[in-house]
Amino acid sequence: MTAADRTTEVVVVGAGYSGLSAARRLVASGLDVVVLEARDRVGGRVWTERTPGGALVDHGGQWLGPTQDQLSALADECGVATFPTYAAGANVEVRAGQRFTFTGLVPTSDRDAAAETVAALLELDLLAQEVSPSTPWDHPDAAVLDGETLAGWVGRTTASPTVRDLMSTAVLAVFGCEPAELSLLYALSYAHSGGSLSALVRTAGGAQESRFRGGAQQMAVQMAAEMGDRVVLSAPVTAIRTTSGGVTVTAARTGPDRGQDPWTVAARRVVVATPPAVQARIAFDPPLPGARDQLALHAPMGSVTKVHVVYDRPFWRDQGLSGQVVADAGALRATFDDSPEDGAHGVIVGFIAGRTDRQLESRGPAGRAALVVEELTFAFGPAATSPLEVVEQRWSAEPFTRGGPVACFGPGVLTGCGTTLRDPVGPVHWAGTETAEAWTGYIDGAISSGLRAATEVAAALASA
Amino acid sequence: MATVEEVAEAYADWQVRCNANTRLAKMLRGWDRTVHLVASDTGDGFTAGVADSVLSDLVTGLVGVPDLVVTATSEEFADLFWGDLNPSEKYISGEIVLAGSAEDVMRLDAMSMVVFLDQ
Repeated sequence: MTAADRTTEVVVVGAGYSGLSAARRLVASGLDVVVLEARDRVGGRVWTERTPGGALVDHGGQWLGPTQDQLSALADECGVATFPTYAAGANVEVRAGQRFTFTGLVPTSDRDAAAETVAALLELDLLAQEVSPSTPWDHPDAAVLDGETLAGWVGRTTASPTVRDLMSTAVLAVFGCEPAELSLLYALSYAHSGGSLSALVRTAGGAQESRFRGGAQQMAVQMAAEMGDRVVLSAPVTAIRTTSGGVTVTAARTGPDRGQDPWTVAARRVVVATPPAVQARIAFDPPLPGARDQLALHAPMGSVTKVHVVYDRPFWRDQGLSGQVVADAGALRATFDDSPEDGAHGVIVGFIAGRTDRQLESRGPAGRAALVVEELTFAFGPAATSPLEVVEQRWSAEPFTRGGPVACFGPGVLTGCGTTLRDPVGPVHWAGTETAEAWTGYIDGAISSGLRAATEVAAALASA
Repeated sequence: MATVEEVAEAYADWQVRCNANTRLAKMLRGWDRTVHLVASDTGDGFTAGVADSVLSDLVTGLVGVPDLVVTATSEEFADLFWGDLNPSEKYISGEIVLAGSAEDVMRLDAMSMVVFLDQ
């Protein structure tokens, strides 16, 4: 056996919000840390970029909502200001090929369906209150709730196609997958982790309430800068071997100056802060316990493309419109106003998600852009026909995320192997927003999961 | 600004619609609560309750210990009870404030929205 290229106390795999939060806490507790990041940037599922035309867009996680205390505290610490997501005016509803406007949360063109949707959402939210976000498998009816999909529940609850479509739109926007792909137990646990399903889909008073001036990636960039050369970019981890002294982590360091030689870091502990689907591609020696391995194999990411359409100005505001669209079909089922705070130009952000995202893969960027512009023109009028730019980010095409925004557990997984989600395996600890006990799937959950894993590691090393 | 009598009259109309709504009866099952209504502009207080899926008469004044407190202007209360105002929209925008447990707030928000939509 050759000596490791570098020796440290803790290796963190992944420099997203979770990994960086873990690393930062470990460093603060006096431990030596190396963070191995596969990409050539930090932030993971949060990535702010200036488009060729000069607009600043968040390709991934971007919002801050009430009770997201970890994210709010981090932003304060980093001196990053927030501003309210623009939501004044009426929302547009597209249903059965027709256009309507509405205010509030639920589209109202079909009032009976709207009332039924409100009642169904309440029923789901009340059920969710009974499901623990940290240990959903402990619910007395866990087997039953985990034995069906959210689509199954919706199908039993309502016969109205309009209600089903509205529920699908909400699920696609939140999870990036179809209700048929999602365990009811997981959906309830996930909703409760952020308060309620209604809170997840709200702008004001909900998960989309505020945005970060200068973009959501800044705090990650600052945390990484604080850690200096402890953060190693372009170093995808391929293997984690448990040794007598801890672990040896192998990374394929790529890049012009590095060649393709595997690079190893020896440490006492490792924190794996990636989505489970990405973790599943790391070779563990010895292999992970069966249930933990199965959990990662049963954790497909949602399928989502985030599209920003940039206009010279937010013209929809002149028509008294909020920029929010809720559609029962098409490429974009949900949109928001994502213009800069000063309204210097207009930006609509929308999500192509689930089955539609997979179906439109072969169309290519230009084909998808044409479709998106056509739909926005239907929603907002002829002024939408000529955007300055259409910029998309296909998360499914990202090998180091494999989709987005979050893992979507199907039926039987949480009750089958969910208990292994956070349990360390020897010197291997787990972080990542999928392991969060509050705001699972959100930046806030990523941060708290990283902090939790760091506390675990520090305690383990202190008692060793 | 709406007087105590005007709010009470509007509530009486709303109460009839609530108690006739079958969807609501199902939603309210098992939910017995005391609700205080506080008019922020006039300072008037009212007490309402729900028990056995039935909405009680409105009482002037803040009576008993509330499970939920709703704060709005007297005009907003009157408009809400007459069905002229989207309650969820006002709650989301923070113009109407609901204070209580997460579950009670959810239920009140949903029930007022259902009555609004079903008229």
